[in-house]
Amino acid sequence: MLNILMVGNGQCGNRILDSINRQAFGSKSRFAKFYSKQQYKSNVQTLAINTAVNDLKEMKYTKAKDRIHIPHLHGVGANRNVGRKVFDENKSQIMRNLDERGSFDLAFVITSASGGTGSSFTPSLIRELKEQNDYPVYAVVVLPFREEGTLYLQNAAFALKDIRESGVDGIILADNQYLKQMGGDVESAYDSINEMIAKRLIFLLDSLDSEMMMVTDLGDFKTVMSGGAGIATIGYYEADGEVPIRTAIQKAVSPSGLLFNTNVYEEASRSMMIIRGDKSYLSIDEISTEVEKLSDSVGHVFKGIIVRKGEYPRVLSVLTLESASELEELYHLAVDAINIEKEKKERVQKDKEVDKAFSQIEGLEPHY
Amino acid sequence: MKFKKMIVCLLLIAALSSVVFAGSASAKSVLYEGDIQAGDGYQINNHVIDVADVFPSEDYASFYVYEKDTELMDKGLDINDTFTFEIDNEEVEVKLLDTKTGTLPRAEIAITITDEDIINTKGVVDGGHEKAEFSGTPIIEITKSVSSNTIQAGDSVTVTVRAENKGDDEATDLRFSNNLPEKFILEETFVSQSGEMSLDVGESQQIFVYRITSTEPGTFTLKPTTATFSNNAGVDFPQTSSNTPTITVEGEPAAMADVEVSADLQEPVIPRGESTEVTLLIRNNGEGDAEAVSVDIQLPDGLEYESGDSEIEIISGTPTIYLQTLGVQQEKEFTFNVNAEEMGSYPVTASYSYISAEDPEAEEINSETTTNALEVTKGKYDVIFEQPLYVYIVPVVIILGAAAWIYYRRQQYRF
Ligand SMILES: Nc1nc2c(ncn2[C@@H]2O[C@H](COP(=O)(O)OP(=O)(O)OP(=O)(O)O)[C@@H](O)[C@H]2O)c(=O)[nH]1
Ligand SMILES: [Mg+2]
Repeated sequence: MLNILMVGNGQCGNRILDSINRQAFGSKSRFAKFYSKQQYKSNVQTLAINTAVNDLKEMKYTKAKDRIHIPHLHGVGANRNVGRKVFDENKSQIMRNLDERGSFDLAFVITSASGGTGSSFTPSLIRELKEQNDYPVYAVVVLPFREEGTLYLQNAAFALKDIRESGVDGIILADNQYLKQMGGDVESAYDSINEMIAKRLIFLLDSLDSEMMMVTDLGDFKTVMSGGAGIATIGYYEADGEVPIRTAIQKAVSPSGLLFNTNVYEEASRSMMIIRGDKSYLSIDEISTEVEKLSDSVGHVFKGIIVRKGEYPRVLSVLTLESASELEELYHLAVDAINIEKEKKERVQKDKEVDKAFSQIEGLEPHY
Repeated sequence: MKFKKMIVCLLLIAALSSVVFAGSASAKSVLYEGDIQAGDGYQINNHVIDVADVFPSEDYASFYVYEKDTELMDKGLDINDTFTFEIDNEEVEVKLLDTKTGTLPRAEIAITITDEDIINTKGVVDGGHEKAEFSGTPIIEITKSVSSNTIQAGDSVTVTVRAENKGDDEATDLRFSNNLPEKFILEETFVSQSGEMSLDVGESQQIFVYRITSTEPGTFTLKPTTATFSNNAGVDFPQTSSNTPTITVEGEPAAMADVEVSADLQEPVIPRGESTEVTLLIRNNGEGDAEAVSVDIQLPDGLEYESGDSEIEIISGTPTIYLQTLGVQQEKEFTFNVNAEEMGSYPVTASYSYISAEDPEAEEINSETTTNALEVTKGKYDVIFEQPLYVYIVPVVIILGAAAWIYYRRQQYRF
């Protein structure tokens, strides 16, 4: 049994973590936590960290002892510099909490790239974790909606860079902009995006600790994740009827199942396919043929098969990317954003001249 | 003479001893001792002992005894001789004590009697029996008359009772006794002779005059008025009775009320602690109005009166309904609720009374009615208390456990 650490930083990280904890109860009922038990195969420890106490309070399925509030007003206001400083000041408290949880085989740190708290805590935390332990640490990073503003784009660009340089063993990307196809208002779009991310992560955790017919294990996962440019994403397909396994595998790498917009046939370097379902759907030959076909374009494919009685086929793909055109585009936008922010700042500097006008009435009183 | 005196003394002693031994049959009392002239007599009741002739030279006298005018006996006596006769079974003894000369010769006699109580009239009668006055026979005739022999129901009639002495002697110790007739009410008494009275020969008097009112139609014969009396001599006479007039009362009998109360249970069987409704139906099935209808609801011990119509008043613990009047064929319904804490069977009794409005005697009629017993059974939840302890403990423990678990979980997830 694996010991797995899941950390959620900032509002986005907290909420995805809570979604994971909710889905682990297996039931959609709000009261599941009162009568049900989380169905983690591994020893999963979840930890939510935030500067905004309200974000922590909103969590419903994560134990109180698994929520750490780092007091700093209500968040750091998307200012990563402040975030970094706050983390440093509270580093020992956070690390002590983690130490008390024993050692792990694997850790995930979930965050948005564009906020203040999560995006600044995550690289610092990973650096600390990597320094003190030797288990792999993966970051799950959520990219912002492009129209969210220059500040967020700027943050996303720097945060992603910081995370990559933190010693992380791989970054799994999820893109709000790409996933917003779900529609609905922001709140329900967030909920369904979080659910998608959580579902894939749970499936992954479950698989890593399951008896598989073909070899894929934590080692394979590490190999896959270390491939390419250290950037990965996850695809998933869940049949709601009798679907040929071939179709299920194809769908797991198709745009509709991915968390990040990538043309896997061009950009993927290594991949892992976990195929799960009732024995009747799992024809080894068919799976092998299909995976063989895929490996030509998506690089080496590690495949694992998990038999689940009575289950329709489900396929999870983990894909590492050599290149990400989407990311490049994001950085273009980010550079523009940084320039805009810079100009704004200079303008504000200039605006300060207005103060001179006000200074003329200094010391005078109005007379009526 | 000395000898004579001795005898007198002896007789006196005998007389005295008779007084001493009063009450014994042989006791004698001396009625008279003295002189009586020839031609005079001595009267005892209706008997007269006439001294017919006295012959002093012969020491001899002759006597006649009469009852009224009838001679019973004649006797001649030498001095110290006696003769006897009976009055009312009592023996009277006459003894010649001496003879005396004078314008008219006199006989000295002693008269004794075994019981002087029977004696009413006595004494020396001048002229003997021919001049004696005897007591007669009073005849009391009582007539009862009514002012009308035929009346309408509810009308009144005056009864007059007169008495007349049609005998030949005064009636003394006269007492009347009169009974009021049934089915009539005495309205007023105008004359009422009470106590002892007397009525002279030929005298007539009103004894009773009163007015009575009929209560029911029918033919009624009045009871006789009776009288007892004695004559002047104190002789008692047998009781005499008046005539018995008949009165016919015409008309319909009074229309009577006939109140019936019935009580019904809404539910014959109820669980303990629950209540049921009882309906009382008070109905006048009679031909006349009922008045003062009063119904007492008598609940057996354990059956509690819960609530009811506002007309039901609780009077010293008893729910009571009072109706001033209840017309012919009128009915009234009342409902109330009862409950019982204990199982059992509880009959509800309604006891009631009323008066027929037209009943001249205003007689109160009492009756009662009882429902079938109300069966009070196990309460709905009684079964709960009959379970063994674990039946409650287990769910309580489960609930407490669940509550504790939920609390624990909430605390675990409360930030
Ligand atoms: N997918 C997803 N994205 C979210 C969610 N909440 C916020 N975001 C995105 O995360 C970014 C904002 O970062 P947050 O996580 O809210 O910021 P934070 O880490 O809490 O930092 P501060 O609030 O600035 O202290 C935006 O791009 C949002 O679109 C969420 O529940 N799901
Ligand atoms: Mg926030």
